[in-house]
Amino acid sequence: MPVGRTPRVSGLQRQVLHFYRNVIRTAREARPAESQQILQFARAEFERYREVDRKNYQLIEHLLRKGTKQLNLLQSTEVIGVQLHRAAAS
Amino acid sequence: MRLTAGSNCLQALGVQSAGLVRGFAEQGTFLDKKDVTDRVLSVVKNFDKVDPSKVTPTSHFQNDLGLDSLDTVEVVMAFEEEFAVEIPDSEADRILSTSDAIDYLASHPMAK
Repeated sequence: MPVGRTPRVSGLQRQVLHFYRNVIRTAREARPAESQQILQFARAEFERYREVDRKNYQLIEHLLRKGTKQLNLLQSTEVIGVQLHRAAAS
Repeated sequence: MRLTAGSNCLQALGVQSAGLVRGFAEQGTFLDKKDVTDRVLSVVKNFDKVDPSKVTPTSHFQNDLGLDSLDTVEVVMAFEEEFAVEIPDSEADRILSTSDAIDYLASHPMAK
């Protein structure tokens, strides 16, 4: 990413950012403890794919669909939160 | 140019009777720009990835404060919480600096 100039945001990038905003909105409605966990989980998922090539539309669209499904699940009344577990190094 | 709460301007002009004033009371009033500036800056300074000493009323989130686009989304959401407004996606996309945020919130009739 070039430094000193804001890169132009593509349509897909904008969709991803709007999705991130929806996640934060959803997290706000959860109870405080769950809210923190949802935010942590979401940010970790975004960070996990930070290095994905911006031209890898297939993967990005796949991740966006996957995320949207997870978000819908989280918004359903039976689900109250999500927790991040670090797998023990083996 | 700046818009302040209607009653202040009118008092300054010597208009006394509130009955003559067609204010924005029904929709809410505009906040004082100085107040908005202070609150916007304090929200940004309290963001854990920001160096508070770099924050000025014109700091660009990404170019000056070193935030990325996800952090920018988080900061804009923090403004929503501070000012009790909901910023639609199309507007939020255009808030890229503290000055953008100050202008938007100072001209938002529902900002508290």
